Amino acid sequence: MRIVCPFCGERELGEFTYLGDAKPVRPVAGASEDEVFDYVYLRDNVAGATSEYWYHGGGCRAWLKVSRNTLTHEISAVEPAAGAGAAKVGA
Amino acid sequence: MVDFSWTPRSPLEKALVTGAHGARGIEAGVSLTEIRNFDLVQVMARRGKAADMAKAAKACFGVAPPDAPKALQTPDATLIWSGPDQFFVLSKGGKHAMDTLAPALSGSASLSDQSHARALISVSGIQARAMLAKLSSIDLHAASFPIGAAAATSMDHTSVTLWRGADREDGLPAFNLLMFATFAESLWHTMLDSAGEYGVTISHSEDFA
Repeated sequence: MRIVCPFCGERELGEFTYLGDAKPVRPVAGASEDEVFDYVYLRDNVAGATSEYWYHGGGCRAWLKVSRNTLTHEISAVEPAAGAGAAKVGA
Repeated sequence: MVDFSWTPRSPLEKALVTGAHGARGIEAGVSLTEIRNFDLVQVMARRGKAADMAKAAKACFGVAPPDAPKALQTPDATLIWSGPDQFFVLSKGGKHAMDTLAPALSGSASLSDQSHARALISVSGIQARAMLAKLSSIDLHAASFPIGAAAATSMDHTSVTLWRGADREDGLPAFNLLMFATFAESLWHTMLDSAGEYGVTISHSEDFA
């Protein structure tokens, strides 16, 4: 598998590490126990299109958001995660 | 109280043995030269200040810092891209060392002195590409990786900064490798193994190639 880093270009998998699902959103302060439990522990086991966080630690050290299909391994999009690079905060 | 005497030493001081290595009886295909005693500063834009940093850097160096994987040569420094909104300043003789750069850049960027945290090796020669191809997945063909091209990548599971410098005087290509000092000895042995079959000339230098 190869990932096209938006900063570096196409690189081999060995330069990246996988964090996990990019979908869960941190609950607001004061959220219910169920919401926090869901955020911390519960994950969907998707067969199909997913969104994941990958870290380009062996390269530019940017966090990336990768849209990948778990059935075909096809990667449809790679974008910088929020905060990757000072100029892209919130992107 | 004990008086300490701190003497900077190369991380390759023990591993590097100057002279010929590997295949004999042929003209050496690879030259490995460690560059010693350089000034290296990592500059990373503060949040939301990338444009300010680029402007301040232009005032320092006369050119805007690279915003893509490239290495820019100025008369007295090399600016090497190391990631989004960050770059290395590589120089000699203190002109662009930490205490000189900090006043100019610290408003818009975070600076970190890496002078003694990295080893710098120049890999050149007619077989330099063949040798690096064993260690790197980057396409180093002249058409894909021209002079001034740079990459933040990994070799032998170790992060390195790789860029192509000006060709040698004899026209052969020269690549520069910046690696963590504590990994340098390990990577050095890997490089010697990779280059051995082509014949290697090993040296160290106080000057950039």
